[in-house]
Amino acid sequence: MNPSILQFSPGAFLAPSVDWLNTNFHPLFAAISYLVEAVLSGFEAALLFVPPYGLIAIVVVLAFVAVGLRAAILAGLCLGFCLLMGLWTASMQTLSLVTVAVLISVLIAFPIGVLCSRYKTLEAMVRPVLDVMQTVPPWVYLIPAVMIFSLGRVPAIIATIVYGIPPMLRLTTLAFNQVPKEFIELGSAIGAPPRSVLWKIEIPLAKQTLLVGLNQCILLSLAMVVLAGLVGAGGLGAEVTRGLTRMEMGLGLRAGLAIVAVALLLDRLSRGLLDRDRLPKAK
Amino acid sequence: MDSSGFIDLFDEWTDSALEWVSDNGEFLFDSIRQVLEGLYAGILWLLELPPFYLIALIVALVGWRLVNVWFALLSGVALALCFSMGLWPETMSTLALVLTATTLALVIGIPIGIMAGFFPALDRFMEPGLDLIQTLPPYIYLLPAIALLGYGPATALIATVIVAVPPAIRLTSLGIRMTPKEFIELGEALGMTPAKMFFKIRLPFALPSIMAGINQSLMMAFGMVVIAGIVGSGGLGETIYGAIRTLDIATSINGAIAIVVLTMVLDRITQSAARLGTRRKS
Repeated sequence: MNPSILQFSPGAFLAPSVDWLNTNFHPLFAAISYLVEAVLSGFEAALLFVPPYGLIAIVVVLAFVAVGLRAAILAGLCLGFCLLMGLWTASMQTLSLVTVAVLISVLIAFPIGVLCSRYKTLEAMVRPVLDVMQTVPPWVYLIPAVMIFSLGRVPAIIATIVYGIPPMLRLTTLAFNQVPKEFIELGSAIGAPPRSVLWKIEIPLAKQTLLVGLNQCILLSLAMVVLAGLVGAGGLGAEVTRGLTRMEMGLGLRAGLAIVAVALLLDRLSRGLLDRDRLPKAK
Repeated sequence: MDSSGFIDLFDEWTDSALEWVSDNGEFLFDSIRQVLEGLYAGILWLLELPPFYLIALIVALVGWRLVNVWFALLSGVALALCFSMGLWPETMSTLALVLTATTLALVIGIPIGIMAGFFPALDRFMEPGLDLIQTLPPYIYLLPAIALLGYGPATALIATVIVAVPPAIRLTSLGIRMTPKEFIELGEALGMTPAKMFFKIRLPFALPSIMAGINQSLMMAFGMVVIAGIVGSGGLGETIYGAIRTLDIATSINGAIAIVVLTMVLDRITQSAARLGTRRKS
């Protein structure tokens, strides 16, 4: 019951085209790899250049100024925990992967999101694509990235960027759609150029929802970066993978707890920004 | 500060604690594993019983009833494609894993969600826990599971249930709480018994939200089951994991296609079921 006429493997057809891409566009991919590696290494070197205690102190002070006392204490505890667990380097690698990926995701998603809220036809075209992107399991994003960029940090960050775009894009569009029309009309009535309308009226009014999008984007990126430990991205994900595959449970547990600490740190800091922003407005 | 002494101690403690737990709880963990693997094997057996075209046909018919003709045709063809790629057994075991895990998650999540809907204190008590589960990257839930249950589908199931439970609890509790006050008062005025009130008024109003919860649970389960390939869950996750590590491009493309097909089909079907439930009422 297996007539060979029914056999059809799209992969066998697509594999040569991936090869073709790899041979003919190699300079392009190599350039992307080089660029990503350079940015990442720079970021990582900067984080590791400062001694751990110094970095913890800087983060605590920043958290205190930007968010509040509780966030500052939490940030100190989380980072201190990573240091105590002997996973400082891995934690910083994970943090730099997440930061770079989120920055690029936002840079891509924000303008498209704004355009989508201006032009409904564009939104109608983008929406089904986003639906599909948010349904597909995260693992699947890693596959094409690995095919083109092989194993390592570069496919990890490419997959993370792509994975982080949909939530940010969706919430940017939503944020700008929610801006009351009156304020925009007011802006044009007093003769403000479109750029000032965007920066002085729309972005401040949309800030709440934009920050929710940022929080989502950060958490999804962290999930992806950790998962990318499977394809050799390094960082805490790699330590978890090592723990899982070699049954080194002590290491796995330490890495798992360090991931919990990093996730809490990122979530509470980004959510803290949101809450702080909400308070004065309520008055 | 040199913390390596502490780290070694920590690792030793973890290992000896795990040894103690698995020595003393062997009976417990073995029976958990057997129950889980039994459930999984049962569902898999059911799915493998009919030939592939029958399953594709059933899915297409359900899709036709719930979504539309085009979706039905597309999903039937897409499932047939999974067969012709030679990945049918893997597709079915992934489906069986997802169905087992989602069922377990719903059996746990819906009653807790209903209780949380009635008792706000319980809701407030669980909220931080659910928040934490949803904040953490799903990948790390494999760690405790593999430590206690070892390599195999049972580990994959436990980790998947952990990530699939929170949406079920959250949306069920939300649905119960959102029952309009007027209808509850109407029920009281009619002298309904609490049981009747629950089944005739609260549950129908909560249904769309519960269905949305089922859809969410299913999607979380898909995400996790595929990742669980690394702990030997079997199915497409393991196929892709193996293919990626050996850089076997053709197989990983096929595996990815099969997963996307399966996810999209189940997502659209459950979403439409949720939407139909809402429409019929209004």
